[in-house]
Amino acid sequence: MGQFTVTDADAHYLEDLGELATYLEDDDPWKHRFQSTSGGGDATEASSSAPVSLYPSSTGSRNVFGRIQRPEVTYPEEMGPEDVPDIMNYLGLDNCVILSQKVLTFGRIRGDDERMNKLAKTYTEYMLDKVVDPDRGIYTMIPAPFHDPEYTVKLIDEYGRRDGIVGLCMITAGPEPPLGNRRYEPIYDICEDLDLPVNFHTGGAGLEEFHIKGYEEFIETHTLGFLFNNMAQVVSLIVQGIPEKFPDLDVMFQESGIFWVPNIMHRLDAEYLKRPSEAPVLEKLPSEYMQEFYYGIQPLEVPENETHLEHVVDMIGGADRLMYASDYPHWDYDRPQVITDREFLDDDEKARILHGTAAEVMEI
Amino acid sequence: MTRERVASAEDISPGERQLVVVDGTSIGVFNVDGEYYALENECKHQGGPACTGRFGGKIVAEESPPGDRTTKRITDEMTVTCPWHGWEYEVATGQHIGRESIQLEQYEVDVEDGVIYVTVP
Repeated sequence: MGQFTVTDADAHYLEDLGELATYLEDDDPWKHRFQSTSGGGDATEASSSAPVSLYPSSTGSRNVFGRIQRPEVTYPEEMGPEDVPDIMNYLGLDNCVILSQKVLTFGRIRGDDERMNKLAKTYTEYMLDKVVDPDRGIYTMIPAPFHDPEYTVKLIDEYGRRDGIVGLCMITAGPEPPLGNRRYEPIYDICEDLDLPVNFHTGGAGLEEFHIKGYEEFIETHTLGFLFNNMAQVVSLIVQGIPEKFPDLDVMFQESGIFWVPNIMHRLDAEYLKRPSEAPVLEKLPSEYMQEFYYGIQPLEVPENETHLEHVVDMIGGADRLMYASDYPHWDYDRPQVITDREFLDDDEKARILHGTAAEVMEI
Repeated sequence: MTRERVASAEDISPGERQLVVVDGTSIGVFNVDGEYYALENECKHQGGPACTGRFGGKIVAEESPPGDRTTKRITDEMTVTCPWHGWEYEVATGQHIGRESIQLEQYEVDVEDGVIYVTVP
């Protein structure tokens, strides 16, 4: 885009389960359940409710009841490989890390079945086979079936070294116990070994059940839930000492804007000084660990008085911590202009946020 | 500089402490395994009586393999905690255990003929 190279650290690919089904064995019941969502498969495994029940969504109209439109892509219908170059052209991207859409619903799946594992594996195989193309700047991440850490480790071991895989996508909506728990440590261990960043990505599944049930509008649950999910997990990660235990692990957070970061930094620091005996793994202030993490900027809060944003960027640690992320084609996506338009950023800082940070962390 | 007799050595046994006032300054005098330490009794947080709270071993985490529960244990490295809000300091250094740069003033202590003296600059 103009004078700047642009790398999008977080866009979404709405995968077609019918396509993913081709990566499953013929005798795998999930092959037929996946196919049934697009009208195929063995009818004995089909369910009329399958399209909505396999990977649940949440209520609330993302497009504000038709007000937000994406005529340039098939979204909200499933996408095809040809959509990605179109998206990149539309947004002016040189590189794009495009992530699973359906992984965003994992937090709402409470059963201990194989749906998450099947999706994570077939998505990764499909993307490597049909969509990912580093020569054209197209990358993805392995969606983490966090319910099953052992299987997640196997997936990382199998695909984490492949060209075009630039991280593990860990959804912050849903994991219980939270992601600082020891059960996830083998995941962080192998990611650290492979130099594979972990992308902690908020999600909207089950938003209407966010903390307090009974909100009436999506604006309420989205404002709070997308924020709360990342806050909830970063607190667990820090207090349980994940960045101390895995000092070379690259940690990214996505999709809650950036104003929440100094909020949690300062609150955690204040708590830590009062209760240090509860976090004995830590060797420094929580904010100092958080200043070593990376943050996608979307949806960037741009206050009328931009000095406030400038201070937030400074508190997080500056442009080296931030990466442009579009979240396209979702309803609140950001175009690269959200960075190029900021007068308080100099060209070096803009270049860093639009490309440099992501390129360094994800080796793009 | 004021060097003042604050107590008899036998009055503050190992594991005990006493609050004293030297030249108008409130000071905690601690005995850790026979070594005496003196710290200002005014918390760097909001001015609470930092030397009057829990006087005990610091909790540390032991390294464990990925996936194992982190074992925490109480060491014999002594700390004192301000009872107002929990700011916790190493007795031997006066440093906050979570932030070395936060430090209670340390005062010189010496024992002469069974008497403890604290010196305030």
